[in-house]
Amino acid sequence: MAYVITEACIGTKNTACVGVCPVDCIYDAGDHYIINPEECIDCAMCMPECPVEAIYPGDEVPEEMEQYATKAAEFDYSAIAPGWGTN
Amino acid sequence: MVELKRRSLEEVKALSADEAVEIMRQAGIVGAGGGGFPTYFKYKAPQPHLIVNATESEPGYWGDKLVHKENLEEFLLLFEAMKAIFGFEQISMGVHNKDREWFAEYQEHADGLFEMRYVPDTYALGEEKTLIKHSTDTRVPRFVDTPNGMRRPGMPPDVGKVVNNSETLLNVYNALFLGKPTTTTIFTVYGEGIDLKVYEAPIGSSFAEILEIAGLDVENSGHLSLLDGGPYLHDMGIKEIGTGDGYVRRMTNALFLIPSDRQGKEFADTKTDPPEEGIVSLVGKVSGVHVPLGGGLLKPATPLVSEGDEVEYEQKIGEPVDEGFSIGVWASMEGTISSIENDIVAIGEGAVPQEEAEAEAEPSGAGGAPPRGEAEPFQEAEAETRR
Repeated sequence: MAYVITEACIGTKNTACVGVCPVDCIYDAGDHYIINPEECIDCAMCMPECPVEAIYPGDEVPEEMEQYATKAAEFDYSAIAPGWGTN
Repeated sequence: MVELKRRSLEEVKALSADEAVEIMRQAGIVGAGGGGFPTYFKYKAPQPHLIVNATESEPGYWGDKLVHKENLEEFLLLFEAMKAIFGFEQISMGVHNKDREWFAEYQEHADGLFEMRYVPDTYALGEEKTLIKHSTDTRVPRFVDTPNGMRRPGMPPDVGKVVNNSETLLNVYNALFLGKPTTTTIFTVYGEGIDLKVYEAPIGSSFAEILEIAGLDVENSGHLSLLDGGPYLHDMGIKEIGTGDGYVRRMTNALFLIPSDRQGKEFADTKTDPPEEGIVSLVGKVSGVHVPLGGGLLKPATPLVSEGDEVEYEQKIGEPVDEGFSIGVWASMEGTISSIENDIVAIGEGAVPQEEAEAEAEPSGAGGAPPRGEAEPFQEAEAETRR
C-alpha cells in the first residue's frame, strides 16, 4: 500500500520527501510531487518529512483527497525521471 | 549506581524498571538496526506492548537472522525478564512471511510468553511504524499535537508500543544477564569480489582492516566503493578502496562492496546465502579502534582515560553526561589510548589518520538515503520531558 501525496503539496513542493526516498519513487508532476505506487515500498520515510503534512498512507487518504491516489495510480511515469530538477 | 554484573534470571527479574534503564544507559546500548537511538530512553515510560523488529530488510543481510538462530535461549530468558521488569502485557516478534521457516524454532516456543506476527515481505526498511501497521491492528498516528502546542510525527509510544531491533535486544540481554557492555556490533560483509561473512566486530574497527580480514586485496581494489549499509540505505564508507577509511559504528549493519561507477540501489535484487560458519567474532583480532564518545543524537560521554593509558577490553572509558541523550562508552579492545580528539578515543594502532575519524563522526550521504527514521520525534519528546 503506497503512500500518497495530496493537495497541500501544491504551492509548496518542498522536496524534503524526494531527498529521503530510498527508492527514488517520487516524481515531479507539475503542480505537486507524486509517488509512483508501483515503486513505493511503503517505508514511511517521506511522511514525517513533509512540512505541510501532505503525505498519507494509501489506506488513510481522506475521502476528499482520493483523487490524488487515483491520479498517482493512473499517472504515466515513463516520460519523466524521478527526483527534482530533472524533468 | 547499578552495577554491570552477571545476574541470574531471578536477579534480573528483581531489577526495578529504573535500574534496568540505568543498566542499558551505562552499557551503551543504542538502536543497532540503524536508528542509533538510545535504547534506555524507550523504556523510561513503560508501554504495554514490546515488538521485536526481526524484519531485517536490506537485500543480502544476515546479521539479525543469525542473531536469532544462535540466541534462542537468550531471547526466551530476555522476554521473561522484560515482562517482569517493565510489565509488558504482550511481546510480539515481527517476522517477514518469507522467513517463517528460519524462525520455526521461535514459533514452537511461542506459547504465551510471546507471539509471532508475520508481516508482508514488502521491503519496508525495518521502519517501526510500518512494522506496527503490519503486525498489529494499530496505527501510529501521522502527526500528534503535544500538550505544549507543538506538532510532531507520531511514534510508537503514542499507541503503547516499544519497538526494538533484534541485535539491540541481544545487547540488552548481554547487559542485564551477563553484565557485558556493548563493545561490538554485528554486520554482514558482502558484495563484489568477496565471499559473504557475518562478523561481530569491535565498535570503531577500521573498514579497511575488516575488508582485509574478509579476504579482499585492499591495495588492488581501487575500482570498488564500500557502502556502510546495503543497497537502499547506506552512507558512503570508502569511495575508492585503498585510498581512505572509515570506522564501524554502533549501528553499522553491513559493509557492501560495489563497483565505484555504480549506485547501491542497482543491486536491490541481490540474493545471498547465510555463511556456514555463522557469526564470526573479531574481538581481539583488530589492530586498532576509534571509539566515538557521542555522535548523532548522543551528547559525548566524559572520557575516563587519558592518552597513554593502558585499557582492558570492556573497561569503561566514557561516563554518560546527565544532559540530553548520553551513554556509557567502553573499550572495544585492550591496548594503549593513542589519542582522544574530537570526542573519539583511539586505542591501539589505528590503521588510519585522525582526520578520517572526524569525517566518520559526521557521515555523509552517498547517493542512497542515510539510515534514519526514528530519531526526530524522540528528540522532541526528550525536549518535552526536560521542560
